[in-house]
Amino acid sequence: MTDRSITVNGHPWQAQEGETILEVAARHGVEIPTLCHDPRLKPAGACRTCLVEIDGWRRLAPACATPVTEGMSIVTENERIDRHRKTLLALYMTDHPQSREESERGAPDQLFDMVARYQAPSDWGVLENKRQGRPDDRNPYIQFNPEACILCARCTRYCDEVESVSAITLAQRGSETTIATVDAESLLDTTCEMCGGCIDVCPTGAMAEKIPLVRGDKPERELEKVRTTCNYCGVGCQMDLNVDPDAREGQGKVVKVTSPPVGTTTNDGNLCVKGRFAYDFIDHPDRLTQPLVRGEDGELHPTTWDDALAKAATGLRGVTERHGPDALGFVSSSRCTMEENFLMQKLSRAVFHTNNVHQCAAT
Amino acid sequence: MAGLVTTFGAGAMTNSIGEIRDADFLFVIGSNTSEAHPIIAMEMKRAVHRGATMVVADPRAVWMTTLAQKHLQLRPGTDVWLLNAMAHVIIEEGLVDEAFIREHTENFEAVREAVRKYTPEEAEKVTDISAEDIRWVAHRYATTERAGIYYTLGITEHSHGTDNVYCLANLVLMTGHLGKRSAGMNPLRGQNNVQGANDAGATPIFLPGYQRVDDEEVRRKYEESWGVALPPEPGMNLNVMMKAVGKSIRGMYVMGEDILLSEPNVSKLEEGMNNVDFLVIQEPFLNETARYADVVFPSAVFAEKDGTFTNSERRVQLVRKAVEPPGEARADWEILVSLANACGASWDYPNSASVYDELAKDAPRFAGISHERIEESAEGPKSGLQWPCPDPNHSGTEFLHEGGVLRGKGLFSAVEYRPSEELPDQEYALLLSTGRTLYHYNAATQTRRESGLVAKQSDPFVEIHPKDAGKRGIASGDLVEVCTRRGKVHARAILSRQVRRGCLWMPLHFHEARANLLTNDAGDPITQTAEYKVCAAEVRSVEKDGAEQRYPGSYYAMNGPGPGAGGERRS
Amino acid sequence: MTHPIRSSIPDELQKAGGKLEGVAREIAQRTGIPEAHIYGVGSFFHLLDRPHQKVRVCTGLSCRLAGADEVLKAASEAGLPVESCSCLAGCDVPPAVLRERRVLPAVQVEDVKRAGGDWQRLRSSSPLVAAPHRKDEHWSGSIGPENADPSQLVFDLRGKPNFTGEAYRKAAEMGPEAFFQQLEDSGLQGRGGAGFPAHIKWKGVFQQQETTRYVVLNADEGEPGTFKDREVMLRRPDLVLEGLAIAARMVGAKEVFLYLRGEFEVPWATMESALRRFVDAGTFGDIQFHFHAGHGAYICGEETALLEALEGKRGMPRLKPPFPVEVGLWGKPTLIHNVETIACIPPIVQRGGSWFRELGKTEPGTKLYCISGHVQRPGTYELPLGIDLDELVEAAGGYLGTLKAFSPGGASSGFLPASERNRPLSFQALGEVGSMLGSAGVVVLNETVDMKWAVMQQLEFFEAESCGQCAPCRIGTYYLRDSLDKHMASQPRTESLRHVADTAWQMNEGSICGLGQAAPLPLTTALRHFPEDFER
Repeated sequence: MTDRSITVNGHPWQAQEGETILEVAARHGVEIPTLCHDPRLKPAGACRTCLVEIDGWRRLAPACATPVTEGMSIVTENERIDRHRKTLLALYMTDHPQSREESERGAPDQLFDMVARYQAPSDWGVLENKRQGRPDDRNPYIQFNPEACILCARCTRYCDEVESVSAITLAQRGSETTIATVDAESLLDTTCEMCGGCIDVCPTGAMAEKIPLVRGDKPERELEKVRTTCNYCGVGCQMDLNVDPDAREGQGKVVKVTSPPVGTTTNDGNLCVKGRFAYDFIDHPDRLTQPLVRGEDGELHPTTWDDALAKAATGLRGVTERHGPDALGFVSSSRCTMEENFLMQKLSRAVFHTNNVHQCAAT
Repeated sequence: MAGLVTTFGAGAMTNSIGEIRDADFLFVIGSNTSEAHPIIAMEMKRAVHRGATMVVADPRAVWMTTLAQKHLQLRPGTDVWLLNAMAHVIIEEGLVDEAFIREHTENFEAVREAVRKYTPEEAEKVTDISAEDIRWVAHRYATTERAGIYYTLGITEHSHGTDNVYCLANLVLMTGHLGKRSAGMNPLRGQNNVQGANDAGATPIFLPGYQRVDDEEVRRKYEESWGVALPPEPGMNLNVMMKAVGKSIRGMYVMGEDILLSEPNVSKLEEGMNNVDFLVIQEPFLNETARYADVVFPSAVFAEKDGTFTNSERRVQLVRKAVEPPGEARADWEILVSLANACGASWDYPNSASVYDELAKDAPRFAGISHERIEESAEGPKSGLQWPCPDPNHSGTEFLHEGGVLRGKGLFSAVEYRPSEELPDQEYALLLSTGRTLYHYNAATQTRRESGLVAKQSDPFVEIHPKDAGKRGIASGDLVEVCTRRGKVHARAILSRQVRRGCLWMPLHFHEARANLLTNDAGDPITQTAEYKVCAAEVRSVEKDGAEQRYPGSYYAMNGPGPGAGGERRS
Repeated sequence: MTHPIRSSIPDELQKAGGKLEGVAREIAQRTGIPEAHIYGVGSFFHLLDRPHQKVRVCTGLSCRLAGADEVLKAASEAGLPVESCSCLAGCDVPPAVLRERRVLPAVQVEDVKRAGGDWQRLRSSSPLVAAPHRKDEHWSGSIGPENADPSQLVFDLRGKPNFTGEAYRKAAEMGPEAFFQQLEDSGLQGRGGAGFPAHIKWKGVFQQQETTRYVVLNADEGEPGTFKDREVMLRRPDLVLEGLAIAARMVGAKEVFLYLRGEFEVPWATMESALRRFVDAGTFGDIQFHFHAGHGAYICGEETALLEALEGKRGMPRLKPPFPVEVGLWGKPTLIHNVETIACIPPIVQRGGSWFRELGKTEPGTKLYCISGHVQRPGTYELPLGIDLDELVEAAGGYLGTLKAFSPGGASSGFLPASERNRPLSFQALGEVGSMLGSAGVVVLNETVDMKWAVMQQLEFFEAESCGQCAPCRIGTYYLRDSLDKHMASQPRTESLRHVADTAWQMNEGSICGLGQAAPLPLTTALRHFPEDFER
């Protein structure tokens, strides 16, 4: 790696070969707005919000897609750039729902944040939306709200470059450009694997989780996020359970799962269909809510914890007394936590004196 | 696991998930990565998009073959032939890493001797992979610096699973692809905490941290810690235990597993269950096994409790309570503590963090890890801590064996090919493998309660090659009966070119078509892991489906994995 | 290496009759290219996206001045599968009409009626087509000036095509270094619109480390008012092909890609048969020529959008830098030139750089000026670079009516008032007044034209042709047209145009490519020069 000496807003900085202006700026805490950038994707330079001025360049340059070169002198704030941001955002707003309430179907709409941050005018009038959606798509998870789409193409690029299933594409052109599937098919009937990455990368919430919308959950900004580890495969993805704390009479309910920011966890902001969407089982009517013991009638009946624990203790000890400790088998679970597995083997060894303890996937 | 511990001294991914994207050569064998480990698949895709070469060895044309430069579509169960032939080529062409072998390994000569007769030409006859391809892959693997091996149950769920693992390890050792970034030998774990369950000592041979129960010194340490005498002899592993159910095993305590759905050859197991005196299960949902239970404890799911999971790359991460469990359900660890105390123990753990502290105290590999430290790591670039982490100032270990093999010397193991226990014959002419799909998980107790996943994949199905289907008069969408010597199930037929001719493939997730009624419980002689991947089967149509319907969620099965990912293959 | 499969997506779609339901999926099955990509590409190009429209009437400025609206209406009433379309490069033969992929010149309402509701029977009764030496419907436009001295012409459109390959052999003997010197001496500037010095590009490609290089011909002529490339290909395909061969030889390329707009069915045929003569004679050694058709997208005339389209993708311009000289077709160094530019090469080789330079008036060389609108003889005129409007119109037989306004270089150059009639029509002189020579598609408007109306035609054009990739252009073209619509619909005039200046500024600063940057010019220049038309 060769170092490059550059100047940003008059400050002399070192940067590495191949680094983009946006990356160097982020490293130094200099704010450059962007709507289409994602570190997992090749820079597109399409949203145009990150344009900066480079000494000697006639045109403004996209910070996300411009690698620094030796001696480059960059300005990220001046009158020209300010006018650029204001007028660009004003244009975006003419082709967008006019209020957060109308726009936000899922994650917070960053366009509104940006308009506020740069004090851009939002009174240039309203254009009729020409982007086609797929209102009849019967897929259960992913809803595309074309009105809120700003065509940053993060979703299609994610689908191509990260998930690599290329289920969605930019289609049509000009102001009719939209996000489409082949022949407007339901995502269920395409190569889509429902990873929901399109939702995760969308800056405006145009791609949104369908179920919370149908169910009428609170908007994401009113939910509490709890970072945890996914309970499916062995990758150990970190994810944020979005909890409505008031639901279930204050017991809380998981109404959505979102992924942590890129670059902070093993999964790098990615989740799969199960991690992102398969959480209905948590609050499912089939859940066991009381201990059960088998009665004289041969059926399982609800009982108290004290009773169930006592019956279990007596039953297990009875086996040991009759047949010896090694007549007991303890099956632990790779689905449970480290702590629980530890306690299970301790129970087997220290309380019941047998090493007959194992779990299902020991290969 | 046993194979890896024998060879290297630690049973885990040698390298980290985040390193995959920087690999230059990926040898993916017996892993349907994009369905079983989608997030790891994304890292592999990233490597390929960057320019890496990927080779996928699998009897099925799984999705990843779309991006692979070569797909080695071997006959099921012939992995030893393929891998020994690769070793043969590497030795023959002088591509071994002599220095690494000299300094860091032992027993290489035995392997050199053993693989002499495994020529690529002979291997071609057994595996159906051309000698040319075997040479090409062996050459590319041996000569690429950042070359990693990635495998899962397609390698281990065989009666010769441990042999397969030894063969892979031999390749790693002879090329010195160990102790380096983006290389190594990487088993991808099927469940969230397989690694952790083994790490924590839920095994008949090891106390926490892979300390043997028959090691006097270890046992003394734990006896002192726990204040009780401990049994000195290793216990039964799961496969042995399941065969002993109702015989020498008369009482059971089962936490978080539906053994009647997931263990092989379930009819035998059901017989045994009738002779069990007492069964306790601990579950969030009533399951098949509950039919035999005397006591059922309602347990919390992951979102309702605190604790840690350890992932495939040895990273210990926090599980945090987000919501209250329903009704009177409790966290599994709380139930275990209550039960121990009901049996007369006096366990006192104020929270799950204190349980981890006890686990770490006597297990040197985890000694530096605590909930508190993991919490702090969430601020860093990657959350969690990777073992080995011997003390509180240690920052964890990204990839193993950097300064030399943990075991001291990596152990080569000479392996001879043994055919699978049950191969097709006249009566059962097809070869059945089972596996996972993207849309469901294990026994699907969670995923089939999720309307969306059901919409994508609702019913049990069996993939069959169009030629085999044609011979049997089976059309796509027909309800068929799949039978083996052990049982039969019904499923929808999908005519698919993803499977080899003469092969069937079924998912294991559907209780109404329990694949484990069919599979053979013949176990690996060392791990006793059952042969879920190979058994003889036959199939016949039982109900014609009038219309050629589009089968939900089977896009690739219907269309093949062809139109995936970027389209352009590199060459 | 190249990806021939991928690049054939548009061809596959064309063969299948366009982006009809099921087509993308079928091609995906066969080729392994993701079906959504195929669909996305198909929906980008109008000829593929709407294949059921068999007849398209150009509603560009010159064609509407000549009655395109009546033709469109008649076709619609006759029940033909018809729609309006952007410029067909037939402004000299208005109104131009497209029948499938063939441009019919000067189609009249009577022609439409004669077809009797059957689009396949639609013919032009124009004498251009009836010319006895032209088989079937081959035609070409008017050229001039009359009585020009061939020794003072670069293209000599009246001249006989020369298939001897003399220039190619001479260049080969000369070698790259010496040739680049001649090119530099000639002062040749790119004729596609930007006017960039040609020799810098050639040397740039030549000097790349990467040895796989390509030459690409941009024959996607579509700037409203422009039709010269069509005329060069029809009349002097030899110059174009030999120029390309010289380019390949000089920069070290083995493959040449020709991207012709899909509506150029006839020029394509001319070029192909000319190429066959060269190839049969083995004139250009092992240089390979590949023809690719456009499918109805003006933006593909932008060089990087063209490269994307050649690669079989949606024609969305790339970010620059890097320029095609470094990273071009399939990531390889690429020399890409417009038809007219490349056709200058053989004469420069034959007669020398300084000969070429001295032909110009204010800048080097002659220029093919296209003139249409309110003039006596619309057509293609080869004249010294730097003549003014009056001189050009004189060559074209004079004005019709009184000059009010003109576009000097296609829609992208905006409008200039009559007072600029003596400004040299050159890259520099027009740049000085915020306009441009562009492709030298000169459109003349007389006193009968309401500038609001003229501007609207241009805004509709840019809105229809924006690729949609970047917001300033995608939303800006829509917003400006919408604002003018509202302005025209309201009486008295309201404030509908109050954000035009800011929008235009944003489009110019923020757009990725020249389309968005130039798109506001018709409106802003008309507002500046003809404010009274917007108050009426």
